[in-house]
Amino acid sequence: MTQPSATPKTPGCSRSPVAAHPVTSAVIAILILASIFFAVWVPLYASTTPKIGDFPFFYAYLLIYMPVLGIVMWIAITLQGKLRPGPGAKHSSAASDGEVAR
Amino acid sequence: MSNVNAVTFTIVVVLFLVVTLTGFAAARWRRAEDMLHLNEWGLGGRGFGTFIAWFLLGGDLYTAYTFIAVPAAMFGAGAVTGYFAVAYTIIVFPIALIFLPRLWSIARVHHYVTPADFIRGRYGSRGLSLALMVYPHAVTGVLSTKRRDIIKRNMALLPIYSIMLGFIALLGYVALTDKVTAANVKKAGNAQLAVPYLFQHLFPSWFTGIAFSAIVIGALVPAAIMAIAAANLFTRNIFKEFFKPDASPRLQTRVSQWVSLIVKVGALLFAITLPKTFSINLQLLGGIWILQTFPSIVFGLFTRWFHRYALLAGWLAGMIFGTVAAYNVSTPTTSHWAGSVDTVFGHTVYIGLTAIVLNVAVTVILTLVLRVARVPAGTDETARPQYTADPVDTPAPAPAAAVLGSEVSGGDLPSRLAFAACLRGLPSRLALAAPARRSQRWRAGSSTAGTELSREKSGLARMSTVSSRMRSSLLRLSSGSAASRCACRSLARSSSLRTLRAWANRGCLMRRVRYSRNTSSASAER
Repeated sequence: MTQPSATPKTPGCSRSPVAAHPVTSAVIAILILASIFFAVWVPLYASTTPKIGDFPFFYAYLLIYMPVLGIVMWIAITLQGKLRPGPGAKHSSAASDGEVAR
Repeated sequence: MSNVNAVTFTIVVVLFLVVTLTGFAAARWRRAEDMLHLNEWGLGGRGFGTFIAWFLLGGDLYTAYTFIAVPAAMFGAGAVTGYFAVAYTIIVFPIALIFLPRLWSIARVHHYVTPADFIRGRYGSRGLSLALMVYPHAVTGVLSTKRRDIIKRNMALLPIYSIMLGFIALLGYVALTDKVTAANVKKAGNAQLAVPYLFQHLFPSWFTGIAFSAIVIGALVPAAIMAIAAANLFTRNIFKEFFKPDASPRLQTRVSQWVSLIVKVGALLFAITLPKTFSINLQLLGGIWILQTFPSIVFGLFTRWFHRYALLAGWLAGMIFGTVAAYNVSTPTTSHWAGSVDTVFGHTVYIGLTAIVLNVAVTVILTLVLRVARVPAGTDETARPQYTADPVDTPAPAPAAAVLGSEVSGGDLPSRLAFAACLRGLPSRLALAAPARRSQRWRAGSSTAGTELSREKSGLARMSTVSSRMRSSLLRLSSGSAASRCACRSLARSSSLRTLRAWANRGCLMRRVRYSRNTSSASAER
């Protein structure tokens, strides 16, 4: 739908950090999109087998998904934090001023 | 139910009282800087850290609905209607991570309290902002956080609750396999009672008391937040917008507090007096309606391409279609409002989804038409860097206001008086946030202005002209950076002096023209 078109911009939020770190930005975008996809694509896990413990696969998958999601989101956020101090712009306020002045 | 268990009942009442008293005590725990400012009352001073925000958002998202209705759906209809809630809480966090930080930043910079405030600022459209009266109250919790990173961190931490949700949902199956509970529920004819009956049957009465009070108290937090959200919405986007544009922060807070009380009483009456099917229908519609505000807010956070009238028309189309489609859903037992799914091209689809596809389609087509027809797109008071801004305690206008303050405080009496008048309209935090040296001068200037002001009370009322010095500093401000432009605009909005407001407004206008000229020439060079 309309979601993917908005996504690629997000990681760096303003354009320059994304351009400065294309690989990291791509990784973040993939992590976020993948975490949505693997929950939305229900046929992937809508089955009773293989059973994990006594849990049918469907229930176990979603239960395990949650902590994994937390970790994946944490990685994405940490990567995003590394993106921010782009070259030449250390301070966020300085960056915003600089961008307008240009 | 005549046989009320005394132990259970006592524990529920006691815990309820403890929580209520804690609430009153918490009001004194951290003295607000200025309780009579809407920021303080409505958004906790925008000062919540990761830990508190985690509890606040968690309490907001996982409500009594989670404990009661999700297991009930599992009990009654199985995973399709019950366990979807678990999958839903999975996808909601990555999606929110995409746009919520931007909403936070822009709301922080421009002091927006509701999403409708943002729409008003972004599209310069009252009509569109009125259309957004329905919105997810979770936004209120998000806006009350202190830093941008706190929201992001919470998107990683909130799934921890979802693990619990997964297990709570399975309680529905436990109730189904527990023969006594299943029989009880069947006798009562209400699947919502599955979890309460299960607890009553399986656990000692004291533990049942604790579990029941958790459900009752769990309903309180979201109710409070919803009431505050509705009250803020009324105050900012109806009362201030249409009835009293120059309402002071103090008055806004008072109005908001009263409306919040009225909302709570209204909700109570609604729940007690109206038939139960009515509230279920409304909840069904609410989901469809809220979804229709998605394009205006979320697209608006990333692009200004969409036209305001197109967004309004799209919203209207989605609302009408969604409502009519939901009305027409029927089953052999119910003639209308029987569910939230519809058949589209042979597939069973959620009505809200069909409606939003229609909404977006109308918006895109109309945007193209309106752009060709050159219908005015409205003024946008936001600037791109503001969407990623992360001001610490500094609302954007502060430094520029300090500059203005130091300039004006050296000026003649009228300009000092005018500035003191402006100051009273600005948030009190400005004084703290300004760079030290400047703010010292600024504070000294404003305090002398203050004493002079009290000495000559009538002077302020009579003064109708702004000194030339004030004028020139305003103009200089308005041609400065984005931050100073913000300052200029907030001066324009808050000033009680008509002349000063007019000057600041003109400054903003000139600045905008110059800004757009600059950017267009810059893009031409590229």
